[in-house]
Amino acid sequence: MRVSVNLLKQFLDIETNENEIVQLIKEHIGEVEYHHNLEDDYKDIVIAEIKQKEDHPDSDKLGIYQIDYGTGENIQVVAGDRALEVGDKVAYIKVGAVVPYSIYSEPEPFVIKSIKLRGVESNGMLGSAKELNIGNDHERVMVLPNDAPVGTEFAQYYELNDTVIEIENKALTNRGDLFGVLGVARELSAIMGKAFITPNWYTSPSVEIGQEDNCLKIKIENDAESLCPRYTAIALDNIEIKESPVWLKSSLIKCGIKPINNIVDITNYISILIGQPLHAFDYDKLVSNDPNYTDTAYINIRMAKYGEKILGLDEKIYELNENIMVIADSNHPIAIAGIIGGHDTEVDDSTKRIILESANFDKSSIRRTSMQLGIFTDAATHFKHALDTQQCIPALLKAVELIQKISDSKVASNIVDIQYLEYKEKGIQMSINNMNTVLGTNISKEEVTNILKNLEYTVTEQEDLLNITVPSWRRDIDIKEDLYEDIGRIYGFHNVDIKLPQKEIKPPRENKLFSTKKIVREVLSNHGANEILTYSFTDPELFNISNLDANLAYRLKNPLSKELSTMRTSLLLSILPKVKENLERGIDKFALFEMNIAHINKYVTEDNLPVENWYLSLLLTDRKSDGKGSPYYATKIYLEELFRKLNILNIEYSLIADHQEQGLPEYISNVLPMFDPNTSAIISVQGEILGVVGELRYEVRNNFKLPEYTSAFELNINKLIEIPSNYKKYREQPIYPTFTQDLCFEMDDNVNYGDIESVISTIINKDDLWGKVECLDIYKSDDELDKKRITYRIVVSNYKKTLADKDIKEIVSKIEKKIKVSYSADII
Amino acid sequence: MEYSIKEIEELVKTIEEDKKELDYESFRKKHTGNNGILTQYLKKIIDIPNDQKAVYGKEINSVKEDVLNILEEKKKLENTYYSSKKIDPTAPFDINSNKDELQKFFTLEGSKHPLTKEVEILVDIFSSMGFDVLESRQIDDDYHMFQSLNFPKGHPARDMYDTFWTEDGLILPAHTSTMQNRALKSFGPPPIAVVLPGRCFRNEATDAGHEHTFHQIEGVYVDKNISLGNMIATIKTYLEKYLNAELEVRIQPAYFPFTEPDCEFVISCPFCNKAGCSTCGHSGWIEIMGCGMIHPNVLKEADIDPDIYTGFAWGFGVDRLTMIKLGINDIRYLRSGNLNFLRQF
Repeated sequence: MRVSVNLLKQFLDIETNENEIVQLIKEHIGEVEYHHNLEDDYKDIVIAEIKQKEDHPDSDKLGIYQIDYGTGENIQVVAGDRALEVGDKVAYIKVGAVVPYSIYSEPEPFVIKSIKLRGVESNGMLGSAKELNIGNDHERVMVLPNDAPVGTEFAQYYELNDTVIEIENKALTNRGDLFGVLGVARELSAIMGKAFITPNWYTSPSVEIGQEDNCLKIKIENDAESLCPRYTAIALDNIEIKESPVWLKSSLIKCGIKPINNIVDITNYISILIGQPLHAFDYDKLVSNDPNYTDTAYINIRMAKYGEKILGLDEKIYELNENIMVIADSNHPIAIAGIIGGHDTEVDDSTKRIILESANFDKSSIRRTSMQLGIFTDAATHFKHALDTQQCIPALLKAVELIQKISDSKVASNIVDIQYLEYKEKGIQMSINNMNTVLGTNISKEEVTNILKNLEYTVTEQEDLLNITVPSWRRDIDIKEDLYEDIGRIYGFHNVDIKLPQKEIKPPRENKLFSTKKIVREVLSNHGANEILTYSFTDPELFNISNLDANLAYRLKNPLSKELSTMRTSLLLSILPKVKENLERGIDKFALFEMNIAHINKYVTEDNLPVENWYLSLLLTDRKSDGKGSPYYATKIYLEELFRKLNILNIEYSLIADHQEQGLPEYISNVLPMFDPNTSAIISVQGEILGVVGELRYEVRNNFKLPEYTSAFELNINKLIEIPSNYKKYREQPIYPTFTQDLCFEMDDNVNYGDIESVISTIINKDDLWGKVECLDIYKSDDELDKKRITYRIVVSNYKKTLADKDIKEIVSKIEKKIKVSYSADII
Repeated sequence: MEYSIKEIEELVKTIEEDKKELDYESFRKKHTGNNGILTQYLKKIIDIPNDQKAVYGKEINSVKEDVLNILEEKKKLENTYYSSKKIDPTAPFDINSNKDELQKFFTLEGSKHPLTKEVEILVDIFSSMGFDVLESRQIDDDYHMFQSLNFPKGHPARDMYDTFWTEDGLILPAHTSTMQNRALKSFGPPPIAVVLPGRCFRNEATDAGHEHTFHQIEGVYVDKNISLGNMIATIKTYLEKYLNAELEVRIQPAYFPFTEPDCEFVISCPFCNKAGCSTCGHSGWIEIMGCGMIHPNVLKEADIDPDIYTGFAWGFGVDRLTMIKLGINDIRYLRSGNLNFLRQF
């Protein structure tokens, strides 16, 4: 929303300078995007008169002019326009001045210099409308009206010595009334503590229509009443289409609207003043285009029929449907209601009679149509913020008044006014006390009343209560809290008492998910791993090369690009490319991890929303590894470190190749195909499956060009935190000495390390024994590939006595026997 | 020559066995390498009497063809499927290796992500002020993202949020306010004090200052007699703690359908103390977040009586705060996964 300070001052008797106004708007109304004094764009541009002219001898197009801008001295300027006449008034851009258009369109503004054009000296430039930034014509030098005073600054003559302030539309989303200068003026007045009185033409509009004027018949039928609560129109005859006077053009230019002709310019001017979009139809075109023409112009507000088309004023054809409201004659649409007029009834140079429309349309309908058709006109912007139904008539009549002021036209019909529902005033009751509680203020009743009255609310007092009638233009005010905001805003939020709330002294509830992630982050980052964050969006192609199923992913309806069109089902999908990129950066060895949510399509909660599990995924790689052993174990020790810190015991790892694939949870079966079954394991604790760890399949690794020494894990953190982690309690140590013994077993290759370890551990921790077991070595010779040797070191003690040699022997033989029976392994 | 033919038969037998047992490389070495068996057989043809050369040649060439086919097959198989050997997943380290070798990653330069680190710091501050924490969803529905927040269908304020939609009609939240209704319900009845951090998405082009993916922290506070002044004090208090500076604050009007009154929270720039610097765009002030008193309709939607309780809410972007605090000039670094960036933190 762009406001001109001079237009504001038409409604407001203030001396305040523009910087103060900007500050007040920021503090009390909403964010200001920028403000700019247009005069700065027109320095050293003055009105000059053509004194002599001759054609350039070496050019068909250039003319050589002697001009005078009031100094009595002729200056020679060469212009690309030969049609200027002696005596014409023009805008002369002096040497050293900047061409206004170039300020906004070129990286470096264009500064006028003295130059020779085909051998003839030229000192300055005669501005075209485009170069002066006030129109589209750049072929012709703009000739000013003959009464333009020579020597006057152009900005002053064209009333551009004014500041424009752009208020952010977002802050005005619910304030249709602030899309007109009148509304902003009213707010500013209240902010400065002054009563605002809306002009009479707005509050009690009237026009005299004589019997003889009522000669053009109009019939209007509203078949879309719920979306068009009001439609008013009037016909004007004897229209003479011409250029608008300077004041009118200037007002439009300042608000970023290009002048077109006197009629269209007036409709736009009304929109600037009070936000009400108006539309002018060419009466004769409307009538003659209607196949069922009688002697009455017929206008119908209705929903479009599927497949109907309209050629808009922007020369584009729009295909319509049943959701789009149109203005139509008896047969076809002549405008898209509230958004854009139709080309077939456009006002042009030959127009003699017009119908002026001033209507109110439903904000949601306008918004939907505007988005659907991609038409973002000022009219659509205004309507979609909800306008006052009561301003249709004042807008219409003010337009008639102004049109008559600048042309000889006359009213040629009655005012047609179709209103769906009689306007009812809104009344709200509020308590001063409650208001002060919500705002944290101590504003007196008198002050509250003043603020509200200055904004033209009607206020009656009833003890602590105020009964308030809301002005018709405040469609955003429904409840008392809306009034509190108005009062707080005008009073100034900076005047509020700043005080912390009083609260019971109570610790916050534990969020185990959040606190577990904190521990994970701490542990992994302290062990050389780097936390990353990656996008939730992935390329569907990544699924293919990662051997995962893209059909399990949620897809976006409106992605930014194909590469960002699919929601990942596993964090590893987005970590893999990052591993590749870091290798390409020349980093040889690293471990990356991310904690985030991944989604699996159709894996939903009771209320049909996707299950949102948090995952921890880690991927490590080492390009320079000597390749001894599977990288599975390097990833596994990260898990062990983590489980130890989280106090989770009895973790089981079972090889994917040996695991039943059926009955695995979604979050595992989804990611499983990425892992190599022979070198990866499913992680579970107490029967709860937590995740997968291991090497990636050869082809996945190869697709990302990752080194052989690469492995990963993905853990479901939500499942992890469900596992009860017991408090670690102190375990009494025996006071007697410990004995250490190494035991080397030879066993079949397929016997698991962990099974034997648990047998040993059980034996050395019962019957008063206390013991620990650890692995010293796992060996396999090239000759005997189906056998392996594992050396366990046991450290053992007794709570009641010092262990004797024979006790040790007894323990060892117990272990030996048990292992021989269960696993046919021998001590060697 | 009978002897040679018999020999060939034996060779075929060996090949059949090796085909099952050996991988590509060993098979190639054994048979077609410089001293390979087949290579020897092929060389032998010189010694075969002329009258038998044709028969021998035919036989041995057919064997050669078979061998080449086997090699081709093996190569193909190994290229598409890496024939790994089963490991013992319960062992602490692999056969013939040791544990110390595995810990080589532990000594690398590890790091926490700067953004999650800031979230932790902020949540710690909120926690010390008595706020509960609940993290935000990343896919949600229209009800939570819009309707429960007083954005009826067709409301123009929906345009303020460039939301992503899934093909199934779900929404990727454009703000953490998507959690307000849930938080009010699950932490109610009042007093309620909760912060809601989470990842948000907006469908907009990415550049140094804009991301389609970003992080927000929402705050919700509901109790009896809660005022706008309480809100300003709360926000000011935690920002001063977080930025370790005394701040001047300004409250500017704004518009959000789910608050009434609606405000923009503006702080004096903690880096230049209002003198103007690059962080505050030389204005001396930084617009840091949207906030306001929770709209009565939002409270009602969560079964809280707005005639008894009032409350406030805020939402701010963590990315921008992190960037301001750490002097990061391009938001895209945060999700680049670039180790040269990450290892600085």
